[in-house]
Amino acid sequence: MAMIDAHVHVFASVSNEFPRQVSGNTPGEREATAEQLLETMAACGVEKAVLVQIGGEELEQHAYLRHCLKSYPDRFRGIGLVADLEHPEEQMDRLASDGGIIGFRLSSIGGERDPLAPMDVTSFDTYKIWKHAAEKDYVIWLYPPAAENHCVPFLIDAFPELTVVFNHMAYCPGEGSFSHDEMGRPHIDLPNPPVTRYNTLGLYQYPNVCVKLSGQYAFSKEPYPYPDLAGWHGALLRTFGADRLMWATDSPWILEEPGYENLTRVIDAQLPDLSEEQRALIMGGTARARLFSRG
Amino acid sequence: MTGPTSEERAFWEEHGYLEFEHALAGDQLQRLQRAFKQAVTDCKPDWLEGIARGTAPAAHFDIPNPFQRDDVFIDIVDYPAWYPYLMDFADGELTILAPQVRTLPAQPISYVGWHGDVPQTNPLHMKVQIYVEDVPADGGAFAYVPGSHKPDAGPCPRPRLLDAMPGRKVFPGKAGDAILFNSYGWHTSMINTTSTARKSIILIYEKWSEGKVSPDRYASIADRLTTPARRRLFCLDTMHAA
Repeated sequence: MAMIDAHVHVFASVSNEFPRQVSGNTPGEREATAEQLLETMAACGVEKAVLVQIGGEELEQHAYLRHCLKSYPDRFRGIGLVADLEHPEEQMDRLASDGGIIGFRLSSIGGERDPLAPMDVTSFDTYKIWKHAAEKDYVIWLYPPAAENHCVPFLIDAFPELTVVFNHMAYCPGEGSFSHDEMGRPHIDLPNPPVTRYNTLGLYQYPNVCVKLSGQYAFSKEPYPYPDLAGWHGALLRTFGADRLMWATDSPWILEEPGYENLTRVIDAQLPDLSEEQRALIMGGTARARLFSRG
Repeated sequence: MTGPTSEERAFWEEHGYLEFEHALAGDQLQRLQRAFKQAVTDCKPDWLEGIARGTAPAAHFDIPNPFQRDDVFIDIVDYPAWYPYLMDFADGELTILAPQVRTLPAQPISYVGWHGDVPQTNPLHMKVQIYVEDVPADGGAFAYVPGSHKPDAGPCPRPRLLDAMPGRKVFPGKAGDAILFNSYGWHTSMINTTSTARKSIILIYEKWSEGKVSPDRYASIADRLTTPARRRLFCLDTMHAA
């Protein structure tokens, strides 16, 4: 069975050819290249991966992502970012025009923060992105903050045909919950299971909503294989089913600890009672059907 | 206070629920509505902060510690419209586990799918759902599958859409209406497609069992639990004398 890693990041060191933003864990000289990733994947039997843009929302900051997608069209699909919420259509179409970028990641919604207030999706800051994605069949790659997660069902209900992939087990970072651990990896301190589940589990009724099983290292309060998250993995499986779950590593943040190879076994530890069919779907089949059929 | 008639008892045993129309009315209902509204006003800022921090659910807003907030929330626990029924069904040995003073925002999904609360091995578990304001069928109304409380009901189905549940009964109601149900049975909150939040109170009871509720749980309101019956209901006193 060929595995597909549904969420990784690649980036080159900063150059004129590949400009990008820098941050604490992506300093200008650091690189995590597609070639390094492919070598790691090959050693672990992983065939394909979804490259998620890092290093900026501007069109030119996608240069390395586009380069990788063009260089390895059979191995990668890409998820881009959008800079201009007022006029997102042109950037979305330009990024998708090469065929490799199949969707766009959102880490905010721009919606009403009071769940008791009237909800008008057309007033949400990201509404035009959702609308254009629905029109063009782009994927929405979703990592919403806890403060806005209750807005998501309204958008999905408005565009039920959209494929929406919740990132990182559908955890939604809360204000003040984000930090970096001693290895410089993202760490998000939230209750387990997440209280945002009351606004996410019910989305199983929309057949195009999927969840990525990734980022365990950032949300678990225990070392690999993160046994405290097994209950939540089970809940996601029972609710959404294996044909809507996708395994991913969030490389490169995990390369040192717990290591890429270990993460190819994390689903076996979290969901030891999977059937072969379910395992095949989570480890690649779902991503193949939902993502690699595009572009 | 009167308990169930033989017809009501037979209906309860067969279907697992009873409806009480206008169970709360007049001054008592207004008192409850005022306390509910005040509690929401007082607690909403903390709720919104909790949502933003990822520590409070946005899908429902429960008032923390309602018994400490207003005596009306204590008074409804043994309210005559339903208390004699609960006592009868629990063979006179009843415990209040928790109140949920709950506001349910309108949204296109339910915060909870069809489920039973406890397995049949649990002591009899019952809830009273009290509508504080009118709840139309599309306003997040309570729904139940009559008969699903029985031991031979099997596993709870999980239809993709809530209203695809076979045999479901939806309970729209007026302010002051209440539904008593056996929570072995499958139930949910239907989707609230209106623009108005549902306001209800869910009282959770169980047939008393040794050690289930610590005497400390309600110690902070002990001075307001003055009758022997209330002290037993809130587990301040033991159910069985030594």
